[in-house]
Amino acid sequence: MKYIITTVAFIGIALLILLAKAISNSELISSDSFRILLALNILFICSLIVLIAVQIFRLLNNIKTEITGSRLTLRLVMSFALMGIIPVLIVYLVSVSFLTKSIESWFDVKVESALEGGLTLGQKTIDILMRDIELKGKSIAYSIGNADIEQRNNILTDLRAKFGIQDAVIFDQDSMIIEVSSEKNDLIPPIPNIKDLERGGLNFFGKIEEHDDGQIYLKTFTPIISKNVISKRLILQLTQPIPPSIANLALSVESVYDEYQQLTYSRNSLKVIYILTLTLVLLLALLSSVAVSFFISRKFSSPLAMLADATKQIAKGNYKKIIPEQGKDEIGVLVSSFNSMTSQLGEATRNSEKDRERLEVARTFLETILAHLTTGVIVLDNKKIIRLNNIAASKMLRNKEIAMNNEAMSEIISKNLLFQPLYEFVETYIDNNKINKKEISQEFKLNKDNQERTIMLQITPLNDTKGKSYVLVIDDISEVTQAQRHSAWGEIARRLAHEIKNPLTPIQLSAERIQHKFQHKLNEDDSSILERSTNTIINQVNALKIMVNEFTEYARPPKIKKDTIRIDDLIDEVIGLYEISEIIKVKKSKNIPIIYADQNKLRQVIINLLENSRDALKGIEKPKIRIFINNKDNQVELIVEDNGIGVPDEIIGRIFEPYVTSKKTGTGLGLAIVHKIIEEHNGKIIIERIKNSGTRVKINLKMGKK
Amino acid sequence: MTVCFMRFSKKISIIAIIFFILLLIINRFSYPEENKILIKDIVINNSNDLNYVSFNQEISLDYLIREAIDKGIPLVFKITLRIVELHNILPTKTIKTEVRYYQIKYKALRKIYEIIDINGQKYENKDMQNAIKKMLKVEDLEFTFDNDGKNYELWLNIMLERKKLPKPLQVNYFNRTWFMSSEKSIHKFEKMK
Repeated sequence: MKYIITTVAFIGIALLILLAKAISNSELISSDSFRILLALNILFICSLIVLIAVQIFRLLNNIKTEITGSRLTLRLVMSFALMGIIPVLIVYLVSVSFLTKSIESWFDVKVESALEGGLTLGQKTIDILMRDIELKGKSIAYSIGNADIEQRNNILTDLRAKFGIQDAVIFDQDSMIIEVSSEKNDLIPPIPNIKDLERGGLNFFGKIEEHDDGQIYLKTFTPIISKNVISKRLILQLTQPIPPSIANLALSVESVYDEYQQLTYSRNSLKVIYILTLTLVLLLALLSSVAVSFFISRKFSSPLAMLADATKQIAKGNYKKIIPEQGKDEIGVLVSSFNSMTSQLGEATRNSEKDRERLEVARTFLETILAHLTTGVIVLDNKKIIRLNNIAASKMLRNKEIAMNNEAMSEIISKNLLFQPLYEFVETYIDNNKINKKEISQEFKLNKDNQERTIMLQITPLNDTKGKSYVLVIDDISEVTQAQRHSAWGEIARRLAHEIKNPLTPIQLSAERIQHKFQHKLNEDDSSILERSTNTIINQVNALKIMVNEFTEYARPPKIKKDTIRIDDLIDEVIGLYEISEIIKVKKSKNIPIIYADQNKLRQVIINLLENSRDALKGIEKPKIRIFINNKDNQVELIVEDNGIGVPDEIIGRIFEPYVTSKKTGTGLGLAIVHKIIEEHNGKIIIERIKNSGTRVKINLKMGKK
Repeated sequence: MTVCFMRFSKKISIIAIIFFILLLIINRFSYPEENKILIKDIVINNSNDLNYVSFNQEISLDYLIREAIDKGIPLVFKITLRIVELHNILPTKTIKTEVRYYQIKYKALRKIYEIIDINGQKYENKDMQNAIKKMLKVEDLEFTFDNDGKNYELWLNIMLERKKLPKPLQVNYFNRTWFMSSEKSIHKFEKMK
């Protein structure tokens, strides 16, 4: 396109120069070349119009398809075109006006009158000369007509010489030369036109002749009326040149007059051709300027369009877009700065992306940690809306692994009233301690599924950019506290066993020795008192021993001997030992798995449970103990339930702790020992009240490993 | 493929437009003569191996042309005589071409209309109508031609010689007055027996 416009511009300039030269050269203007030149110019103008039309069409198409920079190009083109059109149009209009007036000024009335006067003067001069020759001709004709034939030649010669006539010839009516007299003796006079002779034979007749040598001759024909009536009619022809000075002047005036008249006549054509030329020049200049304005506009708008395009690319995240350098002008500096900015932006974005990736990794890592935490973590805002929580928190508050983001905590708590105390604490903390909050923690005892759970709640205020938020850490520390309690009881039991068991044997031996030594020495009454007292000591010592043994069992270190056992056989064996076996109903499912466990320990578990059931059934009209042995997901599920008095609600949560019992007799260690044995086998034990009356103990035991 | 075809068709259409404009311009700047000259009464005589053609013309000279004559602008007419051989298959072949001029011009000094005929003979007349009448009668245009019995034709054409007009009138292509010519007048030669 650049080359086309350059070529077109050169052609336009060449055509303009040629046109200017042609219009100033009268020879060239009349030639065919001028016509060809005009045609070429018009053709070139048409080509320019087509070129501009194509450019406009392309530009409008670009605007329609919203190509970057096209609107700017249109504005620039219009601006440049206006900058060219307005002054050129003014110059054109002024030139046309000036030209028209100039051409009109050539044709002055005075000049025309002067020329007409000059021409008339020439005509009058010739008329006077003609009149003079006429008179001379008539005089000579009269003289010759009255003279004899012999004297004619002399008279003709004398009078011609006397009147200063150049040639005098006498013709008869048949165009025959009768007499000749000339300044030039060698003259052979040309035969005049027969019509002229005929006309001259009747009346005087004069004519002006222009000869090829540029001389003007006056030629007169005068009839000679002879005195001899029978002779032929004669005609005198006089030929007299107009003096060269007069002739040249007259011809010159005629020539100028002709030219002036021709010019006057063709002045409109002259105007047309000059205006046409001017118009062509105008169109060439205008169209060339418009065509060039497209090129210049594109050149100007191109870097800006590239900048705009690059900006769009950058907005889309393409920082690799580099604009070619445009030179050292302001646009070049702008492009260079833009490239530099793009490069820096790209680098910053890459760094930001890396940081974001690192943050993402850290966030994912944190989420993973939070997800795997058994501790519930919740982030609350000022309005107690949950902004973040982990799975453990969902499980705790909702019993489901569903996110609680953007839900009000009160809504969730309203569906799970177990945690109502926690929420009230949180609400109070947030509403009442808006300023200078400190980290605070609180332990809550909650009864969940007939089990006492210990929940630790920790609130930590956060000051972030979005306002105040709070991190709630909810931890179920039931296992820990229970373990701590068991550990403490174990220590107590161990110390009791150690401190109490040792003096029991000497006490018992001493009591037996006293009884043995003094029973026979005392009277019957005293002996009886001694025997009762020593027996009481011995019985109480035995009772203490049993209690200490149970403590020892509870406090013993975990030491189990595992072996393959069938739990159903073990239950059958234990039931066989009891006299109450008729009230015990056992229901076994198929394919009960063989487990790997300590048979003696499990036997103790079953015995303890059956003992408890038996104690609970005292006084019940239709006592019943039901044992279910199920296969549940390759685990043994053992359920022992009775329709006894059941466990009171106030202790059911702590029933596995030592010394917690509803019985009047007993150490309160039976279920604690059962719980410990099941835990040692990695099993689970749950105790619950049956709806109407009775208790259900559910134990799950895994198959175990050797 | 379609895009290429569309681009090609666009280029073709642009070329077609340019070609059409070019044709218009050439047509405008060619000689679109108006048929103002009528050739009639063609007579061909033969004498001593020489041929002479005489004819009359009718020209409708409007007031602009008459005014131009009175202003001393010479009107020069060009007679083109061509002898052509006709063929049934081959194109027409020009055997001979004769070009002659005749003219009329007003001589302001002498107040006469001067006519110069095709043979260079000058005539004068004080009346324009008579002068024109004299000018239009063309007599004895001499040409040599050996009629060997083939199929020959004589083509006559007369036109106003614009090159002899004043220059402003020559280049005023917009004034149709000065585009004056005759139709091609055809006279068929009789075949020799």
